[in-house]
Amino acid sequence: MLELVDLSKKFKHMYAVKNLNMFIEKGEIIGLLGPNGAGKSTAISMLSSLIEPTEGDVRFHNKSIIKNPAPLRKIIGVVPQEIALYEDLTAEENLQFFGKIYRLKGQLLKRKVDEVLEQIGLTDRRRDIVKTFSGGMKRRLNIGVAMLHEPELIIMDEPTVGIDPQSRNYILETVKRLNQEKQMTVLYTSHYMEEVEYLCDRIYIMDKGNMIASGTKDEIKRILSAEKTILIQAELLNDTFINFLHENPTINRVIKEEKEITIMVPKEINIFPILVKMAEDAKIELNSVDIKIPTLEDVFLHLTGRALRD
Amino acid sequence: MIGIFQAKIKMFIRSPWVFVMMTAMSIGFALIIGGTGAYTAITVPVYTTSEGIQNSIIGDILEDSDTYTFVWSSEAEVMEQLSSNKAEAGAALGEDNFQMIVGVETPSAKIIEQTIEEAYAKQAQYEHIVAASGATTVAGQKAILDELQASIAAPVFNIEVENFRGEDAFIYDNTFQTLFGFTLFFAIYTIAYNVLPILVEKKEGIWDRIILSPVKKWEMYVANLVYSFLVGYLQVGIIFSVFRFIIGVDFHGRFIETLLLMSVYVFAIVALSILLTAIVKTVAQFNAVLPIIAVSSAMIGGAYWPLEIVESKFLITLSKLNPITYGMEMLNGAVVYQYPLKELLFPISILLLMGVVFIGIGIHLMERRHI
Repeated sequence: MLELVDLSKKFKHMYAVKNLNMFIEKGEIIGLLGPNGAGKSTAISMLSSLIEPTEGDVRFHNKSIIKNPAPLRKIIGVVPQEIALYEDLTAEENLQFFGKIYRLKGQLLKRKVDEVLEQIGLTDRRRDIVKTFSGGMKRRLNIGVAMLHEPELIIMDEPTVGIDPQSRNYILETVKRLNQEKQMTVLYTSHYMEEVEYLCDRIYIMDKGNMIASGTKDEIKRILSAEKTILIQAELLNDTFINFLHENPTINRVIKEEKEITIMVPKEINIFPILVKMAEDAKIELNSVDIKIPTLEDVFLHLTGRALRD
Repeated sequence: MIGIFQAKIKMFIRSPWVFVMMTAMSIGFALIIGGTGAYTAITVPVYTTSEGIQNSIIGDILEDSDTYTFVWSSEAEVMEQLSSNKAEAGAALGEDNFQMIVGVETPSAKIIEQTIEEAYAKQAQYEHIVAASGATTVAGQKAILDELQASIAAPVFNIEVENFRGEDAFIYDNTFQTLFGFTLFFAIYTIAYNVLPILVEKKEGIWDRIILSPVKKWEMYVANLVYSFLVGYLQVGIIFSVFRFIIGVDFHGRFIETLLLMSVYVFAIVALSILLTAIVKTVAQFNAVLPIIAVSSAMIGGAYWPLEIVESKFLITLSKLNPITYGMEMLNGAVVYQYPLKELLFPISILLLMGVVFIGIGIHLMERRHI
């Protein structure tokens, strides 16, 4: 349906996105994962024809949309990261406005507005001014606006940033429902691993403008099949202990957070006795040593050496 | 396009406070500083020791004065009014002479004195005419006087007096100076704050959403520009109408022309606002830059004081790049100088040119920067 071929975007002397390749098939939920500044928003701006790539192509049904974006624009809905709504208008007036610019009118517009308000759970607040809404309600309306003209492909740029868990769940369920009931194709960008794991069929992981991994959830997790992730928790972690970890040749990665350290080691290595000896030598007391089931977060750690939210 | 326009109107109705404030400030400042242009005669209390004066030619002439209202009072009343500063000057009128009683030495006191002197001179002139007629009886003298006054009232021919002035002659009308000056000045704020949402909508992603819809980009710009133009023009219309129909300022019969001419200025300011919105990057920058632009333009363009009193060549040169200069020139030309349309074509053309250039550059910058 939609394909990105060697897509790059250069701002002044820096590449925000470099040689990006990805494809989206009809009816899929695709996750685009990466930390802040990874280039996700730039990628979807190019994909949705809002900015022109410096190099590469975006192909919709095998035709480039860079010079002629009209066919793609007809079938997409975009949920921007910002709350792109008129805050001085009511929820209903916002939907009516965006409906009108998509040439909906009369009874059809009214029916669509009612439907969307129902889907996003704002029917009771339809006549309230948007600026009186909570962050979660604004986010829901932000999504509702993009659904109004029933796009075949909906692009969501971090739609759950800064909202409460209840609204977040509501949004995730809404995305799932749209995909299942209306067969809407969804491109979902986020830096929340668990959202992408829950929603998406296939995942692309970006970092520093590059695509560093892609595939289904299982395929991506298999990147870690040769390693195991171990979480060490201890009181008063000191530099001596961390240096021991770094110096040990069997430990592939060491990532220190506040009171815990994550390490990655080859599956066949029994690291426990080594860790206990290191703790004794460094004079620290270990609280726990756990082997973790690999998550996408671990894959990201493995690929970049950083946590997603760093 | 209609949808965008309707949404803007809805938001304007819901939150018209900038518009209301700027309109009220324009009216308030013009009213306080410029006055209403209504004429109020100065009251001059006078008394006489001779009873015949009030009914004499002197009394008639003083009572007919347009400039001053001479009020017949007692000596004590005259003194009381002067001592309590209720009157600038008074006079004690005698048969053949008068005495000025001045409370405060002002330019008016001299003119009052001159007015009374003229009344006495006129009476002396009448007395000479009567004496020259040779009438000896009281009835005869009265008949001569009546005939004289009838002739003055219905002259054989009229003399019209015209004043000539050169091209550089400067007429200053404080009422119109402040009315036009503050209207042009405050209109900048109203219009600019109605263009500003383009920047906000671009930052917040609303603009992108509309770009992805079937609405054409030119429709987006036209809807925004037409809306800003209409709001600015509505403000000007309200201000001028308040002065014309409520306060009673006569636009020297050119009220409609003034309103029509203002459309050109409003267009130029919409364009200037687009350029400003394209240059700044944030709303905070816009809020900082707008007052600097508006106030300096008003100062350089002659909105606060007439440009004719500015001597600096540098400032005069700067004023040539300023829409307010041409707005003032156009309005003063139409109302104060009563120029025909063809003499106003120069400022009109410059404002139109500025409008086209500013819009062109502004939209180009916005598109290039993708803000």
